[in-house]
Amino acid sequence: MAKELPGYGTIDVPKDRVVPFGAVTPAPVCQQDLFQTSNWRIVRPVKDDEKCTRCLICYLSCPDACWVYKEEEDVMEWVNNFCKGCQICIQECPSGALTAAPELDFPDGVVRLNKPF
Amino acid sequence: MAKVHEITVWARGVIMDKEGRDVINIFAQAAQMEGKFAQAFDNYEDLPDRVLVTVRKYVRLSDEAIEHKYVYTNDHPEVVVVIEPTIVKGIDILRGMEKGGTLIINTNRSIEEMLKFIPNANLLGTVATVDADAITGVRTVDFSGSEGGGDTSGIGKGIASPMAGAIAKVTGLIKKENLAKIVSDVSGMERGYNEVKIKKLG
Amino acid sequence: MAKAKLLTGCRAAAEGAKAAEVEVICSYPIRPYTAIMMELAKMVANGELNAEFVHGEGEHAQLSVVLGACAAGARAYTGSSGVGVTYAMEIYSPMAGGRYPVQMSIADRTLDPPGDFGSEHTDAMSTRDQGWLLGWACSPQEVYDNTLIAYRVGEDHRVMLPQMVCQDGYFISHIPDTVTLGEQSQVKEFLPPYRPIGPLSLTHPVSHGPQIRPDQGAPMDAQRAQTFLAVPKVIEEATADFNRIFGRSYDPFVEQYKLEDAEIAFFIQGAHSNTARSAVDRLRKQGVKAGMARLRWVRPWPTHQLAAALGHVKAVGVIETSTSYGGAMRGGNLIHELRASLYDLDDRPLVTSFMGGLGGETMWPADFDHIAKILTQAVTEKKVRNYVQWLGM
Repeated sequence: MAKELPGYGTIDVPKDRVVPFGAVTPAPVCQQDLFQTSNWRIVRPVKDDEKCTRCLICYLSCPDACWVYKEEEDVMEWVNNFCKGCQICIQECPSGALTAAPELDFPDGVVRLNKPF
Repeated sequence: MAKVHEITVWARGVIMDKEGRDVINIFAQAAQMEGKFAQAFDNYEDLPDRVLVTVRKYVRLSDEAIEHKYVYTNDHPEVVVVIEPTIVKGIDILRGMEKGGTLIINTNRSIEEMLKFIPNANLLGTVATVDADAITGVRTVDFSGSEGGGDTSGIGKGIASPMAGAIAKVTGLIKKENLAKIVSDVSGMERGYNEVKIKKLG
Repeated sequence: MAKAKLLTGCRAAAEGAKAAEVEVICSYPIRPYTAIMMELAKMVANGELNAEFVHGEGEHAQLSVVLGACAAGARAYTGSSGVGVTYAMEIYSPMAGGRYPVQMSIADRTLDPPGDFGSEHTDAMSTRDQGWLLGWACSPQEVYDNTLIAYRVGEDHRVMLPQMVCQDGYFISHIPDTVTLGEQSQVKEFLPPYRPIGPLSLTHPVSHGPQIRPDQGAPMDAQRAQTFLAVPKVIEEATADFNRIFGRSYDPFVEQYKLEDAEIAFFIQGAHSNTARSAVDRLRKQGVKAGMARLRWVRPWPTHQLAAALGHVKAVGVIETSTSYGGAMRGGNLIHELRASLYDLDDRPLVTSFMGGLGGETMWPADFDHIAKILTQAVTEKKVRNYVQWLGM
């Protein structure tokens, strides 16, 4: 007398919860926009273009690659959304062109994420 | 089922993780001394052992025993305490707050200046600032990690005491007399209590 | 009379180890159990606990160190979480087979990939064939209590087996709850000092772990199996003693909540059982005859006790917070042994399982309502549609 056995059920992951295969995620080529760390900083570096000698030590020393040399304008550009305010560039600048200023002094750079990362 | 008040404390990892945890522990202990029920715990997902990352600590307060819901967040905070003021730029701290909530910030800047960074300030009924850094003179006392362990400096040393005093004054949810029995820095707590600037909003 | 304090599960485990006066501790950091070791380090540094605190170079080293310490006659303590538990896998069988009653405090964590701190029971469950005593706590108070009970059972000369005292990471390990610590007099009455059998010694030299022939293997295994026949009685005696001395009321194997007249029941272990208990109360108010059986020991599995507790229930929902991919029920671990326990009953309950709380997710009261609905449907249809359902998917 054959009895109908229970099944294994079905699994339907909701679309907003689907994860990549084997948790293999694409690596950022340049910027990881899903992981903004600008809200980590309490101070930001302020640059004095007169004192800056374009030695690129700030670019070399930044752990988050937040200094970019703009060739046409011949200035260093600071990247807002990843600077964590570690102040290594301020310490390392040999000509004293960088100073730390409280982040709250600046109206820009508001990210207001929903939760920490 | 009595109402559960949710209080969320925002701090920064490593440099003020212990201070944030002290605030919630002081709060919970003071509430218990009045016969209220309180739960105080860190947010687990925030990985606070990274310097400067924003972290959350939670308190839940009620007149009856609070059921453990094993959740990771406070979804509807009534009171939000921000111990490091730059966080208002980086996080939507009032998310989930119902109208009429309270915001307390540790800063020496004016309330108007801070409100400029909070577009959804219309949710607030009360906003307050206290300059806890100036009261204690030092920001970080203890680098003890987030996993418990070493805490030899005493509960409330550093900016946690003035913050606790400010919370008592602004919210009235805990009593100053009880705080004096718990914190190690009673004068700091008194100054926080007296020097907090409160503004009622619409 | 000891006052109740607000302690996290990790702190409670450390207090349990301190009350048990452990002599050798080997640590290696992994979140969330790492707080236990931080608390113990503080106690050792302050002189509150006179123990040798060794930093292992990995979880494999941790277990090796405490094996050696126990072999020399010390009461040893260690712990881990998640992939740390699986990293030490080699040592579990030698520890159990060599009869070293070491205690390992596990705060559960999901196994990689990719890297989730949330709690899943798979880490400790995956060691259940190694011959250890294994059980879950559902509150910081129970973590403290289980630490003492496990030492007492494990070090009993009828048992002499290592023990894993498990708790859910974050839910129990990091959220404080009321814990009443025992007075030292109570602990001394309950837990006698560790008396090793055949320890490594300069005056009475012995060899541990020699090479054997295949025909000596079966008697070795049989000896270990014989021990497990004797363990349940020791657990019953120890739990009864504990209840008497400390004033608690633990059922030795299965906490039975409103099961006497239940028609549907939740079968669960760990933190989410607290949500299950409230769900039972809520369902009862709605007229549903629900109950809960909370498992306290996975090894030794209380086969007869579960048959007795759940035999009269019409449908049992097993809540699994662990995975056994490709297993008979294509779900978790608990359902296989529960179904086996109930198989020989004349009128056996319908049993199905629900994957809940995986990855450290919260289990909501609505989840338990859903489970009750499925169980009630099964009772009406007199059959189970599927072995397993993944909650929310």
